[in-house]
Amino acid sequence: MSLPKNLQVGFSPQEIQFLIENEPIRIMPRITTRKTKKQQSTDLGSQWSLLTCDDTAVNNMVVMNSCEVTIWLALLLKQQGKCNIIVPSWLTLQQLDKYLEYELKNTSRFSNLPWNWLVLSTLLFSRCSDDFKDPVHLLRSKIQDLREVRLGKVNKGLQYLNESHLQLENLSLMEINEMRPYACGIMDKLRTIHDASNDTS
Amino acid sequence: MGYYDIDDILAEGTRFPCRFNYEIPGLGYLEGNPGKPISKHSKLELPLWMVHLLAVVGAQSGDINDTEEPLPFVELLPPDLFAPRVLNAIKSGAASLDLHAISPYFYTLAERWATLFSDKELSQVLKDMLLERGQEINNYAVSVSLHSNQGQTNESAVFLQMLDEFEKQIYRDANVNCKEMKKWLAMK
Repeated sequence: MSLPKNLQVGFSPQEIQFLIENEPIRIMPRITTRKTKKQQSTDLGSQWSLLTCDDTAVNNMVVMNSCEVTIWLALLLKQQGKCNIIVPSWLTLQQLDKYLEYELKNTSRFSNLPWNWLVLSTLLFSRCSDDFKDPVHLLRSKIQDLREVRLGKVNKGLQYLNESHLQLENLSLMEINEMRPYACGIMDKLRTIHDASNDTS
Repeated sequence: MGYYDIDDILAEGTRFPCRFNYEIPGLGYLEGNPGKPISKHSKLELPLWMVHLLAVVGAQSGDINDTEEPLPFVELLPPDLFAPRVLNAIKSGAASLDLHAISPYFYTLAERWATLFSDKELSQVLKDMLLERGQEINNYAVSVSLHSNQGQTNESAVFLQMLDEFEKQIYRDANVNCKEMKKWLAMK
């Protein structure tokens, strides 16, 4: 078919990254785009005009005044050395330690990490590792710890698949996508088997 | 179950033992002697696509007021596939069972059988088996290495040989997905 088979039911990791790059993030600009009245009258051409996101923030950047832009734009600016990304508050050693502690304490629940934690942290680690206050290698290992603890819980949860429903609070998009083909396949089959013997018609 | 689903078509070709309730002229070719009638009570093995209709539809008796359900053309006999021996083997250790040797389309056929006879017990056995084997399948599917080029160990090759066609599909989907995920993580 026109859509490749492995994309027909789920997302590829790249597509999930694409979805997440559309979220806002705070940056510290290193350039000024805000124009004074005089400048505005002389050149109107050199302004951002974006169709898919708000362009007022990007047109009003002042050096070292934080502002909020979309992640893809922030990464693009970062690549050119025109901004520093402000790392979200949950991505600190202290906060991650708290999450990890919660994960280890509650064996049947997931901690309420943001829905994009895995993708956002991998993106930021690779693209702006110099913007972190904490040492990146320690953060990396904390993220890896969290991932493994949660993977273990997911695998444990898969034993309880049934034909009616599944509750997955606080599981991030990437983790859901990872288990999607298996969980959906098995649950679909369980449902048809269940319906087969209960068919009254 | 789709009309154009290749796996369904192949599954429906599986033969099931059945017994004729009528003598029908001209149908001898089913037994291998064309031109002759098929005799009453003769036992035959017929493909599922044929029997699942013949076991439901019967001859109309001439009497319109006859309220009794007509006796169907054929009667399905319990197949080896769902014999107590097989069900016991499933119950005792589903994960180590060679399902492919029993039938490559076990789930589809069992589902059909459960529908035909509203067999609750069979469907419960099936559900338990699916869950138990599913665990194993998932374990093999997620443990893929990006770097080893032989892909799978000998052990996993042996395991894959024991999977039903439906389970192979599940394995393949989960495996491809996990590989994509690992590739994405490694790319960074």
